[in-house]
Amino acid sequence: MARFIRSVRDARGLDAVLVWLALGYLGVFSAFPLVYNIVISLQTVDLFSLASFERPFVGLQNYRDVLGDPVAGTVLWNTIQFVVLSVVFQLAIGFGLALFFQQDFPGATYLRGLFLAGWIMPALVVGAVWSWILAGDFGVLNYVLRSLGITDRNIFWLSDPNVSLYSVIIANIWLGIPFNMILLSVGLAAIPRDVYEAAELDGAGAWQRFFTITLPLMRAPLGAVISLGIIFTLQQFDLFAALTQGGPSNASNVAQYWSWQLSFQTYQISYGSVVSVLMIVFVVAVAAVYTRSTRHEQSY
Amino acid sequence: MTSPQIELEHVDKHYGHFHALKDINLEIGKGRFVALVGPSGCGKSTLLRSLAGLESITGGTMKIAGETMNGVPPRRRDVAMVFQSYALYPHMTVKENLTYSMRLKRKPREERDKAAKEVAEITGLGNLLDRYPRELSGGQRQRVAMGRAIIRHPKAFLFDEPLSNLDAALRVHMRKEIRALHDRLGATSVYVTHDQVEAMTMADHVVVMREGVIEQAGAPLDLYDHPANRFVAGFIGSPAMNFVEAAVAETGDAVALEGYDGAVLPLGRKLEPGRRVVAGLRPEHLSLGEPDRSQIRVGVGVVEFTGAASYLSSAGEPELTVFHAGRTEVRPGETVGLTIAPQHVHLFDPETGRRVG
Ligand SMILES: Nc1ncnc2c1ncn2[C@@H]1O[C@H](COP(=O)(O)OP(=O)(O)OP(=O)(O)O)[C@@H](O)[C@H]1O
Ligand SMILES: [Mg+2]
Repeated sequence: MARFIRSVRDARGLDAVLVWLALGYLGVFSAFPLVYNIVISLQTVDLFSLASFERPFVGLQNYRDVLGDPVAGTVLWNTIQFVVLSVVFQLAIGFGLALFFQQDFPGATYLRGLFLAGWIMPALVVGAVWSWILAGDFGVLNYVLRSLGITDRNIFWLSDPNVSLYSVIIANIWLGIPFNMILLSVGLAAIPRDVYEAAELDGAGAWQRFFTITLPLMRAPLGAVISLGIIFTLQQFDLFAALTQGGPSNASNVAQYWSWQLSFQTYQISYGSVVSVLMIVFVVAVAAVYTRSTRHEQSY
Repeated sequence: MTSPQIELEHVDKHYGHFHALKDINLEIGKGRFVALVGPSGCGKSTLLRSLAGLESITGGTMKIAGETMNGVPPRRRDVAMVFQSYALYPHMTVKENLTYSMRLKRKPREERDKAAKEVAEITGLGNLLDRYPRELSGGQRQRVAMGRAIIRHPKAFLFDEPLSNLDAALRVHMRKEIRALHDRLGATSVYVTHDQVEAMTMADHVVVMREGVIEQAGAPLDLYDHPANRFVAGFIGSPAMNFVEAAVAETGDAVALEGYDGAVLPLGRKLEPGRRVVAGLRPEHLSLGEPDRSQIRVGVGVVEFTGAASYLSSAGEPELTVFHAGRTEVRPGETVGLTIAPQHVHLFDPETGRRVG
């Protein structure tokens, strides 16, 4: 014991302790739930067998059931739309704003700071705000559209199956813009000003500077923002809970919400686990691609 | 006289309320190498960046090769700039850095390759073409920055302290190399530096600036021999000129120093008797001698040797520095005599600082 304490007091032992603490934390709070989730997805679990470990092992049967469910196709297509549209527009608008605030004009820093307000609000609150904006009969958006003469009747943003998914996407884009903008602003600020000046003297116009200097030098920040955007978007649960609950009749349902519904509303816990395992596999793949792409970081 | 390649007429530049360049008039002939020198913050970079179009001037006209450049964006000015930080494109290889301007103009690959090879040869980058900037030493990056300018055959080269990030030996070497390149290309160059030795050795025309004003412009030796004012006199030359307050003697053809027992220095020219002046004596023009047979008697404070030369500092006030080629037996505490030839005594007005007589 004395030897152990001595080894902790000199730094080497302390290092080891800290590493084991971190690994222990990861093991208990990340690895165990992950593995347990996979195990459940291979078993038949219902409310009665939930408390015990001895549950019938059914192999990939749960996966076949979930993928064979007619809802699965809708959910998959919705999820793809949700992720792709959200990430593309968050990125485009966030990047545009970052470039805009990169120009030095009076008040640029304060305005940029304002955008953080959207970021620090809980998604449930944002969901509530958007549900007022998007409400069919007394919503702000319909009022504006009608006043401008763009439509003459109310659009039921949240209950019309043709638009409900896009309503959530719009709210999610709004929610994700500040994050994209701030991260990309940091990346832009790291590009030395005189590199742009050199390019300008070499004859590059504004668009050429953007495509030959800014974009290539922003590869790493863009990769990070895209990967994190995909991951955050796949975690977006609160907005669905606040706005559409995946409805009407799964028209706006996505994988993460479906997984929760299966597990905690219909108590098909194995099926819920199957969906979340599939999502984990996808996220891990995204993270791997991202890690690989940042291996060749630029240095100035 | 060659036709002026760069002309500045009454150029002014304001940053808000700050007047950074004040009525700058300058003409630079084709093929000339002009150095802008001055203390930090005097506006050298501002003037150079205005020429490049990276800053817009708030008054006056600026012409390059006869064309008025006010309001013309940098990429239409056909000038190249070498930055102090080099400003290489970090995501491009040396070759891509060199040929960036040609790719923007959609020049064919063979032409680009040929130009890159030529420039690499001139700048000694031959075997580094496929490296990235981060894989180069400071001196090599410097060469890439130069090569990137050379490949364009611009109307003028603008250098902003290009050597200040290099060590002393390499700096001296690159000085010669840049000047040789300039001559070989028949280029017109404007070179900003705060190192007056760099300016004196490289340029055929030196412009001394202070607080946004051109104090004096001329050939290096002219500035050295006939500084127009006390500031230029003190700025050009190393170690710096000694300044001693003095008064013109009754006879009008000599000055009596204040301090140093009222030592009298003959002038070889006539001035108003009794006039108060500041005498400027260059350390290298003061020669050591016997105290009794010299003009000035001084107690020696410090003696420093570099091997080839000795530097003496007087013990009295104001301090006099003496440059002595070779070695000397003089030791601190001794008394020595100093003599200076009449034509080497510079006189300045104590109030305006302007040259007198
Ligand atoms: N963007 C700016 N806004 C306001 N003032 C500026 C700006 N750029 C330069 N200045 C001021 O203009 C003056 C001249 O600056 P400049 O960079 O030309 O000096 P310099 O002679 O190049 O000095 P150094 O030798 O330190 O590089 C300085 O007093 C500086 O503070
Ligand atoms: Mg400068």
